[in-house]
Amino acid sequence: MRCGQVRYQLGEHREMELENGVQRWIVDISNWNPSPHCFSFAMSFLPNHEYSSITRFVELEDQKRALVSRLLQYALVHQVLGIPFDEIIIRRTPEGKPYLVCDNMKLAFPNFNFNASHHGDYVAIASEPICLVGLDIVSHSVPKNETAYEFVQNFSSYFSSSEWNHIMHAGSSDEMLHIFYRYWCLKEAFVKAMGTGVGYKLDDVEFHHMNWNNIFVEVAGKELKDWKFWLLDLGRNHSVCIARGQPRAATTSYRTTLKQIKFDDEEYYHGLHLPNASFTFRTVEDLIQVIYGADQVPSDISTKFDVSEDEGCERARFVQQLG
Amino acid sequence: MASITASSVSFPASCPLKQNQVSDLKKVSLSFSRKSFPSLRFQPSRFRIACAAKPETVDKVCEIVRKQLALPADSAVTGESKFASLGADSLDTVEIVMGLEEEFGISVEEESAQTITTVQEAADMIENLKAKKA
Repeated sequence: MRCGQVRYQLGEHREMELENGVQRWIVDISNWNPSPHCFSFAMSFLPNHEYSSITRFVELEDQKRALVSRLLQYALVHQVLGIPFDEIIIRRTPEGKPYLVCDNMKLAFPNFNFNASHHGDYVAIASEPICLVGLDIVSHSVPKNETAYEFVQNFSSYFSSSEWNHIMHAGSSDEMLHIFYRYWCLKEAFVKAMGTGVGYKLDDVEFHHMNWNNIFVEVAGKELKDWKFWLLDLGRNHSVCIARGQPRAATTSYRTTLKQIKFDDEEYYHGLHLPNASFTFRTVEDLIQVIYGADQVPSDISTKFDVSEDEGCERARFVQQLG
Repeated sequence: MASITASSVSFPASCPLKQNQVSDLKKVSLSFSRKSFPSLRFQPSRFRIACAAKPETVDKVCEIVRKQLALPADSAVTGESKFASLGADSLDTVEIVMGLEEEFGISVEEESAQTITTVQEAADMIENLKAKKA
C-alpha cells in the first residue's frame, strides 16, 4: 500500500526538516540490568502484539535487546514524525525488516524509513528521509571454540578476493578479527538497507575504502555511486555501520512499504548528501519518557507504579522523577 | 504483528519408507529467509513432505547449536527451537551450518542453508543429504 507522493521544494525550511529525518540513536544495554518486574514495566510501554516477539527469545540478553530495539523504533517514530503513540503501526516484511505503516498523509518526509540493529552491548536505530538506510552493529567477539583464523575461514565465501586478502594479511589475529568484523558489518548494513536476507551474493559485493573512510561498494565489478557508507568504532570492541542508498534497490517486499521509490536526480542527490548525523546515546528511561510523554498512556499504568523497595530498579527512580 | 509459529509438517519417527526412497517423497516445508522471521506466506513451489529425522540426529544438532550459541546445558533446545529465538545472529547461522557439514560429512548448498531456521529442519535436511549420498 503506497501513500500518495508528497511534492516538496528545496528551501531552508525544508532543508531543516529533511535533516530532522536523519536520526542515529544508540543504547548501551550493558548498563541496563532490570529485574523481571522492571523488564515487564518497560515492556508495558509497547503495544501488546509486540510482547511475544520479545519473549520468544530464550536468553534474557536477547529479550533485552529485542525490547530495547522496539522501544527505539516506537520512540523514534513518535519523536520525529509526531504520530500519536497509539496510532503508530510497525510491521515486518516476510524477511523480518520492520517498517512503519504510513497511513498518515501528513508525514513530513518523502520516504521516511528506518533500520535497527543490536549486537553485544549495543542496540541502535537509524532513520533517513529519502534514501534507504541500513544499520548494523557488530561486537568483535573472540571466537571461543576455535582460533581466529579457523573462525574467519568459515566465512570466506562471503568476501571478495580483495577483501579476503586484506583480512588474511592482517598483522595479528586480533587485527584479522577487527578487519573481518568491519567488512561483515558493512555487508550486513548494505543487505539490511535493501531488506534482503543473508542470501545476497556477498562475494560479488566488494567494499573499498581508505582506512575505513570514503567507503564505496562495487557490485559485480561496478561501483554503486548512489550509495554511501560510514563505519564507526564503538567502545569495547564494537563497530557500527550505516548504509544509505537507492530506494529502487529495495527488495520486492520492502519496496511495497516505501512511500516513494523514484526520485529525480536533484532530489536524490540531495538526500544522498545530507549530513550523516552522529549517534546520540539514549537510555531506556529516555525512551520510555518519549513514549510516556505521548498522548496515549497504557490504561493500566497505575498498577505499574508500584514503587517497591527494589533499589536496583531504575523504574522507581523514574517514577519519582515524574513526581 | 501476530506471531506465527511455523513448523514443518512431519511424520512420526517410525516412517514406513526406507531411506533410499527419500528422494521420491513429496515434501512440505516452509521457506524462510535465514536471517530472521518466518515468512507469512507459503511458497507453493516448495511443497514437500518430510520424514522426521532420527532422534539421535536431532540431539546432535541440538548439541552443535548449544555449543555455537554458548547456551547453558539446561537451556531448552528442542526440535522446534528456532535458531533466531536461541539468539543466533547471521554469523552464528553460518557457523552452525558449517558445524553440521563437518559433523555429518555433508555439503549444504547456500540455497538450502537459507531454508533451515529450526533444529528439526536442520536435522531433516541432514538426513536427506546423507540419504542422497548413500
